[in-house]
Amino acid sequence: MTMTTALTTLPTKTQQAGVDLLRIVRINEEIKSVVGVAFKINIMALNAIFLAKRAGTAARGFGVLSNELRVFSQDLRDGMSSLTSLIHGCVTEVSLVLQDIRHTALLRRAVDLSPAGCGRDVLAAREVENNRHAERLARLRKQLRGALDDAFRMVELGGVLAKSAKIEAAYGQSFAVPLSQVSGEFDGVVEEIRASLEALRRSAFFAGN
Amino acid sequence: MKKTKTIFQDGNHKWVAIVRDPDKPNYLIDTNEYLVTHGGQGILLDPGGAEVFPAVFSALSSEFDPSALSAIFASHQDPDICSSLALWLEFNPKMRCYVSWLWSSFIPHFGGTAETFVSMPDEGADISLDGLMLKAIPAHYLHSSGNLHLYDKVAKVLFSGDVGAALLPPGEDGLFVESFDKHIRHAEGFHRRWMGSNEAKRRWCERVSQMEIDMLCPQHGAIYQGADVQRFINWFDDLQVGICGG
Repeated sequence: MTMTTALTTLPTKTQQAGVDLLRIVRINEEIKSVVGVAFKINIMALNAIFLAKRAGTAARGFGVLSNELRVFSQDLRDGMSSLTSLIHGCVTEVSLVLQDIRHTALLRRAVDLSPAGCGRDVLAAREVENNRHAERLARLRKQLRGALDDAFRMVELGGVLAKSAKIEAAYGQSFAVPLSQVSGEFDGVVEEIRASLEALRRSAFFAGN
Repeated sequence: MKKTKTIFQDGNHKWVAIVRDPDKPNYLIDTNEYLVTHGGQGILLDPGGAEVFPAVFSALSSEFDPSALSAIFASHQDPDICSSLALWLEFNPKMRCYVSWLWSSFIPHFGGTAETFVSMPDEGADISLDGLMLKAIPAHYLHSSGNLHLYDKVAKVLFSGDVGAALLPPGEDGLFVESFDKHIRHAEGFHRRWMGSNEAKRRWCERVSQMEIDMLCPQHGAIYQGADVQRFINWFDDLQVGICGG
């Protein structure tokens, strides 16, 4: 790489790492809100189970679906928890990449100014370390994208459960109204999570390497 | 790039001042770094901030193999003193950093590991550089609450950190003090404001008056030599410090 190229690419790399850090912080905030909603589903599922028990045989199908929705909310929370640790890993790696960029720029300037390019071996070792951080970030980015896809698929299944619960609610005889209300709330909340995850999957953070 | 100037030499025992970078941006305070070599080893005194690292490194490497630096001496904890630490450690991860015990858990924020730091007690310590004994001497509250200077008895050179510092205007920034009276005007405001204790200042003046010093080397400004060393100590002794105009 020529000196001119190095000087022009460095700010770009720093800007990219800075933007990545902002994006990952936003993803983290969004996931925090999804975790909150997932917790709400767990409580809603519990209430639905009690309601189905009170409705008796007329809401047997609804009861089965409420149990499934409760399992879904627990799986969703587990999925969100692994997403959160992947995001923390990404924040750490992006911060290291930012630090690498500054250190490397200073080292490169030192080596370029030195007589006979003293310190080239140290600069080369630094670049190997930088590549290691960049590769780890790329790996984490891929894992995070994969975990988001898994969560999205899980939420789509949750959506199907919520819609089936809406149908089952219609057979709830005298409990049809409260059961419809509960299943409607389920559907709304699952749709909210689906929209959030859909937006997260489209984040420009995943466009980088 | 900074310039190097050998200010003392006796065989392979050398003091090299690394000074005055014409390309340094004005918003950074100018700093002097000093390299002491003896045998095959070197110790860098107050290696400077991360931003000036390229200029210091390149100047130093024109005189000395940077991978042979065995230690760094940090007079105190300020960023212009040693925020470049992590970069120096890239060249020699086994390098030691001598520092007042007071700052030994603060300076690692600039880099290094538990093995990097050698904590020095308040009364100072001896530092061996390939058999040459250098003496870290107390200068607490001048200006930092944990502050040490470095004395080389053989070379009769005292590295005095911020004591003796002057903020020199362009055109009056020679390496050595040429006219004490003219020079000291640029040191007065700095000492009144940065030095926090008259009692600490008095103790330091008494201590260094008993030492044989040919050159007093501050981290900013010009080097005092010959009679100007005692002249400076007397001036500092008379100065009221710890004063803020506001």
